[in-house]
Amino acid sequence: MGTSIALNGETLTFASLVAVARDSQPVHLDDDARERMTRTYEWVGRAARGELLNPRGESVPIYGINTGFGSLARLRIPEEQASKLSWNLMMSHAAGVGDLVPEEVVRAMMLLRANALAKGVSGCRPSLVETLAGMLNAGVTPEVPEQGSCGSSGDLAPLAHLALVLFQGPDDEDVTHSGWASFAGDRLPGAIAMERAGLQRLIPGPKDGLAITNGAQLTTALAALAAWDASELVVLAEIAAAMSWEAIKGVTRALDPRIQALRPYRGAQDCAANLRTLLNGSRIVDSIHAKVQDAYAIRCTPQIMGASRDGMRFAAQQIAIELNAATDNPLILADEAGLNKAYSAGMFHGEPVGMAADHLKVAICEVGALSERRIFRLTTGNLSSRLPPLLRDPEQPDFGMMVPHATAASLVSANRALAWPSSVDSIPTCEDQEDIVAMSTTAARHARRAVANATQIVCIELISAFTALTHRLDEHSIEDLGTGTKAAYRAIADVMEGAGETPSEAIEAVRDLVTSGAFTRAVESQSGPLLRPVEIA
Amino acid sequence: MSAPIYQIDGANLSTEQLSAIAHGAGVTLAAGVRERMSASAQWLSDHTGPDPFDQKWHWLAGHEAPATASEGVRAFLRSHCAGVGPPLSRIEIRALMTARINTLAAGYSAIRPQVIDRYLYLLNHDYLPTVPSQGSLGAAGCPQLSHIAWAAFGFGGTLDDASGNPVDLRELADLAPIALTPKEALALVNGPALAIARGVLAVERAKTLLRTAESAASLSFECVQADLNCLNDAALRTRHHPGAVQVAATMRAHLEGSTLCHTGRAPDPFSIRCTPAVLGAAQDALDYIATTMHRELNGATANPLILPSAGLFETGNLHGAPTAMALDHLKVALAQVASISERRAFRMTYGQLSGLPSFLVRSSGINSGLMLAQYTAASLVSECKSLAFPASVDSLPTAQHREDHVSMASIAAETCLRITEAVADVLAIELMCAAQGCDLRMSGDFNDHGTLGTGTQQTLARVRAVVPKWTEDRVLHPDLAALGKAVRDGQFV
Repeated sequence: MGTSIALNGETLTFASLVAVARDSQPVHLDDDARERMTRTYEWVGRAARGELLNPRGESVPIYGINTGFGSLARLRIPEEQASKLSWNLMMSHAAGVGDLVPEEVVRAMMLLRANALAKGVSGCRPSLVETLAGMLNAGVTPEVPEQGSCGSSGDLAPLAHLALVLFQGPDDEDVTHSGWASFAGDRLPGAIAMERAGLQRLIPGPKDGLAITNGAQLTTALAALAAWDASELVVLAEIAAAMSWEAIKGVTRALDPRIQALRPYRGAQDCAANLRTLLNGSRIVDSIHAKVQDAYAIRCTPQIMGASRDGMRFAAQQIAIELNAATDNPLILADEAGLNKAYSAGMFHGEPVGMAADHLKVAICEVGALSERRIFRLTTGNLSSRLPPLLRDPEQPDFGMMVPHATAASLVSANRALAWPSSVDSIPTCEDQEDIVAMSTTAARHARRAVANATQIVCIELISAFTALTHRLDEHSIEDLGTGTKAAYRAIADVMEGAGETPSEAIEAVRDLVTSGAFTRAVESQSGPLLRPVEIA
Repeated sequence: MSAPIYQIDGANLSTEQLSAIAHGAGVTLAAGVRERMSASAQWLSDHTGPDPFDQKWHWLAGHEAPATASEGVRAFLRSHCAGVGPPLSRIEIRALMTARINTLAAGYSAIRPQVIDRYLYLLNHDYLPTVPSQGSLGAAGCPQLSHIAWAAFGFGGTLDDASGNPVDLRELADLAPIALTPKEALALVNGPALAIARGVLAVERAKTLLRTAESAASLSFECVQADLNCLNDAALRTRHHPGAVQVAATMRAHLEGSTLCHTGRAPDPFSIRCTPAVLGAAQDALDYIATTMHRELNGATANPLILPSAGLFETGNLHGAPTAMALDHLKVALAQVASISERRAFRMTYGQLSGLPSFLVRSSGINSGLMLAQYTAASLVSECKSLAFPASVDSLPTAQHREDHVSMASIAAETCLRITEAVADVLAIELMCAAQGCDLRMSGDFNDHGTLGTGTQQTLARVRAVVPKWTEDRVLHPDLAALGKAVRDGQFV
């Protein structure tokens, strides 16, 4: 747990999002942001009280503040009903179905919503952000079903499930209307979780219903964590590729920086640089003097992985914009001169993040597909530069890595199916008012599944390459390995020692090691830092 | 009430029975099965040709099988325990074990009946292993089957009872130790059994969903006061598709006696008028798929096969292509059932298309009514479309090019089950909208003092037994969850 992160709608980074979502780093509302929020909130209050009059003396309609929602914006809502309007929106929009969103994702979603509101253009109270921060800091995590959002008008249903816990209806004491939340290990009605955490639920003010629900924060939470994990996965896959390169006695001329500079994709150059770093000092690569080049799964690693890196960096750039974006509707520009400072626009639409998440899936899928082809080479007798077929131990009766390789192939195919883009689809909703929607939430959910699958594939490559290198060490000293691959070899050796008897248990043990970050840290401690597609800042 | 016990004979296990066993019914072997299995096991032990296990080992691994049978069995099973990912549900594990028992009960695999008795014992006591769900290619060695055998015969892993308490095989006095022969280990692991088991569960769910879709569409017909000419039997028969004729007949029965619907008034939009065409095409597909899955469930999908009268055969029966293609098509059919259902929900919540209040609630504006229910349906339909991407068109060469074309049936089955879940929720949403619309229609405010048909009356009553009318906004999620459960439980069949 580090120092508290100030939320201001401007400076949230991937690293801080991960720290809050996964490591419970505390957050608070920035002082300047509180001031900005207060100013727009005061204006919304005047609008809701009907104090904004046009030259004919009529109160000006402001969407969602004194009108209905969606296609119901044509209807005016009297001031005394503004709170009930918001509360009704939260209840009726809590329409999710299916399995629950993992807690780390819910936390990221809450953080993103709080940060978007801290920008001070939504017109809601500072206490809304402060309460969200309080929930994050105390560990009150609402239950959010994962299906049902079209990602346009934002992730309405998922955010409404959060709103049920955060808010309390005017004259509505019914705890069964407060959703569910986890707190201190218990599953509780939202109202009780908040009470136990010592947090006061808020009675919705005008605009609060829209402010809490309008934005693609579930999409962005899923996509941001997927992009972060994908970025770490790429480094992991490059470590595995370097081990395989060595195991296959590959030709490193393909990694020459002068060559890579002649087709200067940033991703390919970074990948080649990482591979050179990892293989630095290896006396096993380039040891077959008659071999002039390797097959694509080895030789084209910088080009394929590089394209994935470039795709991920693009996705991450889009997501990084969304981390600090206003996504509400309408937006209140308090410094504008006119009477109506509310601007209805389409800022909530999930398309930019949805398309990025779809591209992220393609990039992840190819990382796994490339890794699987290297496992195939390592396990196939006539392709592996004379490694034992299937990488079996000559002393032990078994099929070596035959079936784990089949598992990897199955996961590649699963990822190909998941890579089908969601953002190309749309179904008209809301009486045709919301007539083209993003389907971004599905894209981002599937991106997370793709990362999990690809991680398993790379773990199987790590074990395969480790096993292959063990055979190479019959003829070589461990000191012949590269500086990075030697550290990787030792780290895998340590975990394989204590892993169970079956391949399944070994894969799980390696996966636990790599997802904890300890493996990459161990390698980088020897090789020096490796380049990542998604910058930490 | 004790659960029924089904007899397994390797030839006549229905998809309904497999589903019932998966959900807790008991199993026993039919008369004659033990003798048949023993005969095939005896044939192999009398067989003088090369041992199939040695051959398999040599073919795959390029070297001799281990010297002792026990060593070989252990190494073979251990090597195949390579599954990853989230665990299968207990229902899926029971289905998988039962499907494998049935295949082996046909007596083509040289496996002794006492081996299968272990699986029967575990199923009937509901002691089940933990089985990771991912990693199968739907061809040859199935990692999930290996995880089951690994635990069931005490090599490793764990077994749990229904409450999650661990069960130690060694403490079960009524279990004699069994030493598997190498061929038995092969027979326990070989074949696309995971895809078959999950596919059969998907088929059974699809049947419930299609019947539910007819109930829901019929109630929507009432809500929009549909023109019933589109259900005319003679007209539908001119196109010769049996599914459409059958769907229309069912819907006419639901709508019998309705005075809300009309005949010959005006053609309705496609999501109403073309319901028999779409649900009928899904029904025709389901009939073909159910037939395929029944054959697969009762087919010899292990390898090699022992035909005591003719010898030993290495064949490609282990390849899951029939299952993979069938389940890919089931995904398409179910996605269409959901897609047209969502369009009806859209119409009913759309004031200008339905003639009812926007989002089916009075005083809309302050209330959003069922606005978000339609969004949820749209989102689910979109997800179904993406999951309908076919798995069977993919393949990757494996096992040093010996298994150079595989079925990916396991991927098709996994996504097919996901689609069945989404379709259930979409149909629940249509039912909720249609019920709300019918209640509004019949409230007297719309000059429609009609009555519902005999079937649709019951459907409305069943919806109302689960969710009350929507008079002012409330939390929507519990209604969707409760109706979704009712759909899955078959309450609208």
